[in-house]
Amino acid sequence: MINILLTGVGGQGTVLAAKVLAQAAHEKGWQVRTAETIGMAQRGGSVVSHVRIADKNGHTIDPLIPHGCADLIIGFEPGESVRVLPYLAREGTIVTACETVQPIMASLQKEIYSSEGLVSYLSNSLTDSQRKRFLAVETKPYCEQLKTSKVLNTLLLASAIGFVDVGISLEDLRHAYKACVKPSLLSVNLQAIELVANERV
Amino acid sequence: MTKRLMMGNEAFAFAALEAGVRVVAGYPGTPSSELIETVAHEKAEGRAEGVHVEWSANEKVALELLASASYSGARCLFTCKQVGLNVASDALMSLNYVGVKGGLVLFVADDPGPISSQTEQDTRRFAQFAKVPVLDPCTPEQGYDMIKAAFELSEKYLTPVIVRATTRVCHASTFIEVPEQTSPKVVPGFEKDSRWVIFPKRSYEAHGEINERLRDIQSDFSLKEPYKNFNSSHTFTSLQSGHPDQDTTARKGIVAGGISVGYVQEACTLIRKIADDHSIAVPTFSLMQVGTPYPFPSRAIAAYSEWVEEILVFEELDSVIEDSLYELIGKQTISAQIFGKATGTTQDRGENTIYKTAETIALFLGLEEIVGTELSILERGIYGDAESAPDLPPRPPVLCAGCPHRKSFYTIKRALKDMKQPGILSGDIGCYTLGNALPLDMVDTCLCMGAGISMAQGFSLVEPNKKNVAFIGDSTFFASGLSSIANAVYNQHDICIVVLDNSTTAMTGSQPHPGTGQTLMGTTSTPIDIEQVLRALGISHIGFADSNNFESSKKVAIDALKFEGPSAIIFKEPCVGLIAPKEIAEVDSSACIMCRKCITEIGCPALRTSADETEMVIDTSLCIGCALCVEICPTKALQVGVRQ
Repeated sequence: MINILLTGVGGQGTVLAAKVLAQAAHEKGWQVRTAETIGMAQRGGSVVSHVRIADKNGHTIDPLIPHGCADLIIGFEPGESVRVLPYLAREGTIVTACETVQPIMASLQKEIYSSEGLVSYLSNSLTDSQRKRFLAVETKPYCEQLKTSKVLNTLLLASAIGFVDVGISLEDLRHAYKACVKPSLLSVNLQAIELVANERV
Repeated sequence: MTKRLMMGNEAFAFAALEAGVRVVAGYPGTPSSELIETVAHEKAEGRAEGVHVEWSANEKVALELLASASYSGARCLFTCKQVGLNVASDALMSLNYVGVKGGLVLFVADDPGPISSQTEQDTRRFAQFAKVPVLDPCTPEQGYDMIKAAFELSEKYLTPVIVRATTRVCHASTFIEVPEQTSPKVVPGFEKDSRWVIFPKRSYEAHGEINERLRDIQSDFSLKEPYKNFNSSHTFTSLQSGHPDQDTTARKGIVAGGISVGYVQEACTLIRKIADDHSIAVPTFSLMQVGTPYPFPSRAIAAYSEWVEEILVFEELDSVIEDSLYELIGKQTISAQIFGKATGTTQDRGENTIYKTAETIALFLGLEEIVGTELSILERGIYGDAESAPDLPPRPPVLCAGCPHRKSFYTIKRALKDMKQPGILSGDIGCYTLGNALPLDMVDTCLCMGAGISMAQGFSLVEPNKKNVAFIGDSTFFASGLSSIANAVYNQHDICIVVLDNSTTAMTGSQPHPGTGQTLMGTTSTPIDIEQVLRALGISHIGFADSNNFESSKKVAIDALKFEGPSAIIFKEPCVGLIAPKEIAEVDSSACIMCRKCITEIGCPALRTSADETEMVIDTSLCIGCALCVEICPTKALQVGVRQ
């Protein structure tokens, strides 16, 4: 079983990302179960999506990933990535966006909420061997190039599956986006995948 | 049939359609809303032929509407969240006595936690009170089967049937095979029958019929398909390929209901893995789901617990299964020691968690050694826990950037300040409940749907020297505000009703309502005009805020607040989710004095200070150019211009 936890701020696209991963896994013949926080949390609150992928034998009926069992954490916001750190499995991987979304509480209380601080906390929490499985993605330049921040989910998914093998390829991802987004939005998502793919090369 | 990724609620819609449902009605409420939205979507796409689906003005109206359709032989589906059932309860209690004809299924979504509700009430308990059978799925797939079975059960015994799911089943997604084209069962039509009219003499007879059918249903639940599979170890064993957790002669047993079935399964897998890693033997035990908690499947439980001496019960919300087991012990149907909420063994509130479940099971099985070490390490998190993390500020849900409610609340706040008079602010349920958060702090009470207007009246009796203000949204207004307004006029209470009209039922995902005029059937009706309703109910002083003029709106507010007797102010501006933003705010850093009032006065999430704290930064992905910050800024450093 592969457990993937997605986290971010309501509105960033974690729900879509979970759908895309589920679609990709399904097309490979695997069993998938997901769980979301929707509704109240959407209003700029913390959101988490659980994606559990298994073959026939490892299937679970429980949609929630326990602490210490997430093979891959994809964080759309560094503070939220820190918040879900207890979910990371011993051999797990974290892929996090670097761009912060300031919580109002931090603004009101004049607390420092810095990307560098949060990203380095994540890195320092891991063991040396674990740090090889940590990727911080600067999504801002990509979003500027594509003139939209709505592809955050695409950039992170593409970065994550390129960084760690969860059995899903970039081609699988393209297929999944075709099935999950409106035709008018497909092009920009495919471009986002290309940007990440080229960066890796 | 096609296999598609869908959440439980979407699957349940297809189940009802496959069962030939004819009328679907309800009121939005998390976590139930997606069911009706799915039926509406299928209808709009031409796949759900002949179905009528609507958002009714409230849950009571919905259930009453469905009752008559059911009397006429139509299969009907009602949806609501658990507190919504409270609103429909008068109808349900009577309906059970009258009985149904076309199958009538109530899909009620409970919210353990609670994640987004006022209470942790348990609809299984409600079912016991109402004497209505209830089915409780542990997965979306099982819920699909239960909805279909519920229609059959309802028609066989002429009883309403509740299918109660919880958030983790409603909002869990998996690939499910669903029909592509459906049409309703033929509706015979209304036939006169004295049983449709509820009279005390008839109620006495009906009560006898209810008692008798409950006995028969109870028997069916233990003995007949598909119900007996809902009350078995079937769900557990179907997953355990090669892992014989199930030992029907074991002395120890675990009984679970709802999503806790999944938590138990996961916990057992975890325990077995840790035990294997440490070469610890796991004693045998047996597992059982109770999927039809009322009437309780006594015979199935009796058969299950023949060998069992100790039973550990996992369920969320109330101790419904647990109490039923105690009852059976009292009746000497079974004998076993029960461990659950009453013994302090399991949680008495909140969502069950996998680790608490695993820990409890491990102790129950005598596996203390794995509790203190591996389980607690995993639970804390291998790489970090709450204690050592940097002080992460909480991130609760907030009013969106540009939300019209922010401007409305701030206008009333400034109006009261100018008047130098304290106010008591009775809020209500919706996105506008979030006006409670800092820095706005404009919600002093919130009780239940429509309570704000009534509560302001209570305050006006005991706090006559304060301004008693009630906030109500447009959807809540129609759902349960009308009677409160009538009371204010009739009993002459000095309150100010502030209507926050954003043209939608926003918090639950933006559904239409009588004030918008859009319906789920694709037709439009003339929107019911809130101003006219207020006037018709006798509110003589109504002020209209101008969304483009803060000072004028504030003056309007002051006039309404000063009015002696019930008055109203209408703020009408669409939810940001409904509009495409055309404008955006910009900061002139040379004029900005970094007073940060734009944050401390209104708390807009699109505004923050730069990392080096030298200037204000606007998040262009959030800002919609509402220009409230422009009003606040003392040096005119903020301006709104056309979005590039």
